[in-house]
Amino acid sequence: MTSLDIFLWIVFPYISMTIFVLGHIYRYNKDQFGWTAKSSQFLEQKRLRFGSTVFHWGIIFVFLGHVGGLLIPKLWFDTIGITDEYYHFGAIWFGGLAGLAVVVGGFFLFLRRVSVKRVVKNSSPSDYVALIMLGIVVLVGFTNTAGYTASGGTFDYRVVIGPWVRELLTFQPSQAMVASMAQAPIGFQLHVTLAFVLFAIWPFTRLVHVFSLPLKYLNRNYVVYRNAKPYGTPKTKTKYDVSSK
Amino acid sequence: MKQSTTPFWKRLSYFGKSEKLNEQYERSPMDRSSEKVYRRRWQHDKVVRTTHGVNCTGSCSWKVHVKDGIIAWETQQTDYPSTGPGMPEYEPRGCPRGASFSWYTYSPHRVRYPYIRSALLSIWAEALAEQQDPVKAWKSIVEDPDRSERYKTARGKGGFVRTSWDEIHTLISSSIIHTIQTEGPDRIFGFSPIPAMSMVSYAGGARFLNLIGAPLLSFYDWYADLPPASPQVWGDQTDVPESSDWYNSSYLLVWGSNIPQTRTPDSHFMIESRYKGTKVVAVAPDYAEYVKFADTWLPVEAGMDAALGMSMTHVILKEYYVDQQVPYFMDYVKKYTDLPFLITLDKHENHYRAGKFLRAENLGMDISNSEWKTVVYDHDKDTFAVPNGTIGHRWEERQTWNLHLQDTDNGLGDIDPALSMIDFSDEVINVSFPDFVTVERKTFQRPVPVKKVTINGEEKWITTVFDLVLASTGVARGLEGEPDASYTNEEAIYTPAWQEKLTGVPAADVAQIAREFAQNAIDSKGRSMIIMGSGINHWYHSDMIYRTILNLVMLTGCQGVNGGGWAHYVGQEKVRPLEGFQTIAMAKDWGGPPRLQNGTSFFYFATEQWRYEDQKVDSLISPLTEKGMYEHLGDYNSLAARLGWLPSYPQFNKNPITLAKDTVDETANHIIEQIKSGDLKFAIDHPENPVNFPKLLFVWRANLIGSSAKGHEYFLKHLLGTHDGVLSEQEEERNTNEIQWIEEVPKGKLDLLINYDFRMSGTGLYSDIVLPAATWYEKHDLSSTDMHPFVHPFNPAIATPWESRSDWDSFKSLAKRLSEMAKKYLPDPIKDVVATPLQHDTKDEISQAYGTIPDWKHGEYDPVPGVNFPRIHLVERDYTKVYEKFIKVGSKVSEQIGAHGLSWPAEEEYDKLGRLLGKNKRTEDYHDLPSIESDRKAAEAILSLSSATNGSLAIKAWETLEKKSGQKDLTKLVIERAEEHITFNDITVQPRKVLSTPVFTGTETGNRRYSPFTINIEHMIPFRTLTGRQHFYLDHDVMLEFGEELPTFKPPLQKLTFYSQDRKPEPVENEITLRYLTPHFKWSYHSTYGDTLPMLTLFRGGPHVWLNNDDAESVHIKDNDWIEMYNRNGVVVARAVVSHRIPRGIVYMYHVQDRLINVPGSKITKTRGGTFNSPTRIHIKPTQMIGGYAQLSYGFNYYGPTGNQRDEQVKIRRMDRDEVDWLED
Repeated sequence: MTSLDIFLWIVFPYISMTIFVLGHIYRYNKDQFGWTAKSSQFLEQKRLRFGSTVFHWGIIFVFLGHVGGLLIPKLWFDTIGITDEYYHFGAIWFGGLAGLAVVVGGFFLFLRRVSVKRVVKNSSPSDYVALIMLGIVVLVGFTNTAGYTASGGTFDYRVVIGPWVRELLTFQPSQAMVASMAQAPIGFQLHVTLAFVLFAIWPFTRLVHVFSLPLKYLNRNYVVYRNAKPYGTPKTKTKYDVSSK
Repeated sequence: MKQSTTPFWKRLSYFGKSEKLNEQYERSPMDRSSEKVYRRRWQHDKVVRTTHGVNCTGSCSWKVHVKDGIIAWETQQTDYPSTGPGMPEYEPRGCPRGASFSWYTYSPHRVRYPYIRSALLSIWAEALAEQQDPVKAWKSIVEDPDRSERYKTARGKGGFVRTSWDEIHTLISSSIIHTIQTEGPDRIFGFSPIPAMSMVSYAGGARFLNLIGAPLLSFYDWYADLPPASPQVWGDQTDVPESSDWYNSSYLLVWGSNIPQTRTPDSHFMIESRYKGTKVVAVAPDYAEYVKFADTWLPVEAGMDAALGMSMTHVILKEYYVDQQVPYFMDYVKKYTDLPFLITLDKHENHYRAGKFLRAENLGMDISNSEWKTVVYDHDKDTFAVPNGTIGHRWEERQTWNLHLQDTDNGLGDIDPALSMIDFSDEVINVSFPDFVTVERKTFQRPVPVKKVTINGEEKWITTVFDLVLASTGVARGLEGEPDASYTNEEAIYTPAWQEKLTGVPAADVAQIAREFAQNAIDSKGRSMIIMGSGINHWYHSDMIYRTILNLVMLTGCQGVNGGGWAHYVGQEKVRPLEGFQTIAMAKDWGGPPRLQNGTSFFYFATEQWRYEDQKVDSLISPLTEKGMYEHLGDYNSLAARLGWLPSYPQFNKNPITLAKDTVDETANHIIEQIKSGDLKFAIDHPENPVNFPKLLFVWRANLIGSSAKGHEYFLKHLLGTHDGVLSEQEEERNTNEIQWIEEVPKGKLDLLINYDFRMSGTGLYSDIVLPAATWYEKHDLSSTDMHPFVHPFNPAIATPWESRSDWDSFKSLAKRLSEMAKKYLPDPIKDVVATPLQHDTKDEISQAYGTIPDWKHGEYDPVPGVNFPRIHLVERDYTKVYEKFIKVGSKVSEQIGAHGLSWPAEEEYDKLGRLLGKNKRTEDYHDLPSIESDRKAAEAILSLSSATNGSLAIKAWETLEKKSGQKDLTKLVIERAEEHITFNDITVQPRKVLSTPVFTGTETGNRRYSPFTINIEHMIPFRTLTGRQHFYLDHDVMLEFGEELPTFKPPLQKLTFYSQDRKPEPVENEITLRYLTPHFKWSYHSTYGDTLPMLTLFRGGPHVWLNNDDAESVHIKDNDWIEMYNRNGVVVARAVVSHRIPRGIVYMYHVQDRLINVPGSKITKTRGGTFNSPTRIHIKPTQMIGGYAQLSYGFNYYGPTGNQRDEQVKIRRMDRDEVDWLED
């Protein structure tokens, strides 16, 4: 276990996660009006309608797939009777399909962003960085699924990457898992490392809109008043304040 | 709970803490800090009162909001003084166009630095290196055909490079000095329109040019906004009611004036008047925006308005003058119109035609100015009488210039003029009148009661104007030999049924509206009003259209009554502080006179449009005239120049500074001798001679090339000498007699076109030099209008950004450089010979008695300067002092100031001005004179020296008029405000209403709404015309030649899109020929605002034309298709807007659509499609060139041929998508 391994599989992920969490809080506090998906629908609609829909549905399933693959222990699947074959079948076909949707949709959006004049004019460097980073992570991940696992690769991320992630998240990184990560196929290593790079830049890009799903509309009232003086406003005491007497 | 501080923490701590109030409401603990963003959005550091110097006549007061040193936005001011109880208010004023102005300040259009075309700069640098002397360098450029062609052909093709003010001023000064030394100062021209929209900026350039002797070009007539009918009828340029007076009307006829679209801030008065029961009638060919406010719509065929006007005149005369006599009307027309005046009849073959006004001289009356005193027949005493107030009375100081029906000259006392000769007639004879309805013009005869007189031993028939008007309008009055003129007879001229054939308006509607109009005038004592505008004013025969319509308001006693009369609104903005403005702008404080050239004549020859003149005089003259004096319209202009009717600069084919002798008389004699010997020629007769070319042209506050170049492509070809889209060839018949016709057509006449602007307009793109001007939010200036009675200031919201300068400062710094250089090149004072035309409102207007043509060219008369030859003046010019004179108010002011033929001393005011403005002692001379070194001080001087803004001058002005007219108590009109002196600070605090002054014809006294001619009507002050009354009849020889002695119907010109000699494009299958109209657009004022992003987003974002859906379908054009539109004058490429709002047979291209934005190439010309003016050209009208004769005398922007362009036809064809070439490679 070299210090590079420690850096890659312990230090760097924690740095990235720290930036991810604190970055979001910072951005939320300091840049309320910049907290946006920066929709370009106003500038171009037709291509966005296809690209965006395909991409977003794909990425939601990819996200759920990652939750299933990394956060839920293999034991749980085994216990409820999902065999490796079933799991892999699902992971490859559903995961692959979702991955394909992300790749195709993302590629379409990428083309749109670089070719539609009005969109280009209204894009900032951060938009390109987010899109390209996301693209690379997705491409590498999709290659792993489609090019490695589906073609019979024997590496099971559920016994290496999954536990490693759970150890990280529970602040109990172990030497053993770091060592196994160091042995994982290069494709998976690359995917994981790049993903943490993506997490580190995430708060500073339009990707923050992931956390702005307007869920509260599901149960809020039609009319929401706000207090002129919200809770906690210290009572102002002046010599003209009649109520204080 | 402690107050949360950050958004994230608030989010967490307030989560789920909402308090439910009921079913639908909840109270969230979230605070309202996010609202700060919106509050901050509208917070600002300061608000500045300013206005917009745009040619819209709006003159709205605006608040400009400045934030962090940046102009952020503007909003309407709301603090106009009240119009009083029972009236709607002026506040707020402004429209979406004005509200978008701040966009320009930091826009890509902004001209930020001085620019020069690189082609010229490199030649200049080369020449400078060669010659080591700037003036010689300039000489070496303009005298070298290769060099000059190199930079002239580069015009309009980009290539601007940044330069410095310093370098540019050296170049311009060199060109000025060279031009003065070689061809003379009258080869340097300035063009800037509508002073009222920013007087000081206008004055900046004008003052400089006047001090160096350069002519200014007029704009009002050139724009065809001047209604020549106004000077013809009233002797007044244009005077109209303020918009709130519409509310006083109880019957509004809106005729060709799209009020909501073009008078947006004023239109509410029209709408509000409807709430109190005023009927609104719209006359328009299309379903225009104002039509939807109307109770009745008369959808007239485009251009046929005069037929409608004549028919309504016919109805009113028949029903209110023949069938009954209305005391109110009788009283009015006898006192205030020329209807009772007598006209002599001339024998014409075997019948008679109307001739000249009968004069006291004809009757042998032994009185002064008898050839200028017109005569009526006194009903009571049964004798001829000369009523007070004629032009003969005006120019003798006997206090008889008033409208009292008295004959002071013959001592007859009170008189009662006979309106008709019918009770005194010796006979009833047939008189012939012209009928222009068809191409082969005809005449028609009507019986007229006449009386016999002997003039110079010759027996003559005479009758009254009223009798002639009745007969010429085809009204049957029960005389023997009259044809049936019942309203349903469509053969009888001017009946309602007759007009229906031409206008398409139902006969019954015409009769009804005319009847209602007159009846309302009776019931309301004259509160019937006609709002009229450019829809009918831009035609070749617009003056005839107008005169037929003005018939209605004069016959019904509405003119000069609040809520009644004409209300013409076409670019006529009114300079309220008139005398002060004229003093500063025309440099009258240093003497003069200025050279003031009428624009139309200048451009007609300078752009060589005369060579392509397709209108023949023979087809325009009266059928009662056997042969026109000339065959070519241009020859009449030559006549007008040599008889002193119109100005004509360059004056002669020699430098005027070489013509000077010691005294004026000697100089005049010298010139006459040279003219007689043929050594000296009028420049106008030789427009092809390079000596007579205009050399330099300054354009500021204007978009001459992009916006008002009627005959745009001819401008490019001949004036500028660059690429053009002209498809016409010279006329095959070389039919000029006076103007020399040389085969070789000159190209690129101008040496230098210099443009001052804050935005890169069509003019900038074709200029050699573009200089950055301050916007309306960056300078001090003044604005006024006739739409409201206030004077508004411009105030700088920010300092002039980048290298821009206010126009005042630009010309001031140019003056400084010129003066410095003059010390070397023009060190001594020079005597400049200035020839001016015979001016209206001076005694020169009674130079050519009887309105004949005293032409000296062929020896019948002797040329006498100031009589039948331009007046000759000697003006001393010290070019080393131009700067010092520019920044000081000269002392001539204290001796005399005034306007419109009245003048008074201003000694006290001049003295006060010196104390108000201070004195600049840093100059070599003139230490004691008031300083106007800044635009702010110039504005203050204008306000201080005008009777409309300075009470002490107003009192003097009224006293002067009291003396002139013999009328008493006129000072009462302003006595209550005699101590007011409206200063620049005053108007910055709040808009101030101007004082009543005799400089204008109406009064505001007692917070009354301004209506023109109310002073004339109520205080018996004569109109400034021949008879002193409003004129139906005009008796000048040229009027008679063209059959315009009385209002009549003349259809639009007969024109083809191409003539045989032209380079007509190959015809294609689907082509349509339509009448081409260019009315005013909704989302721009001329070219201003049309190029701003906010306005471009509102309609198609580029050039477009409107056409009828059936017309479009017939040539397979669908909405938004690209089309090519062309005629011999040029080609336009635009998108089609297909709408049933437009009637068949016409196409609208809203003006001004410049060639700047989204204009693809044309297949025909292979260059970029043209401007809206590419298919147009001008035709000049001889009757508008008359001079030296009462109200038909020249005044700058007052009289002169209009630059009309409306009678054109165009062909339209569809362009396929793949034919649209953006010429971008």
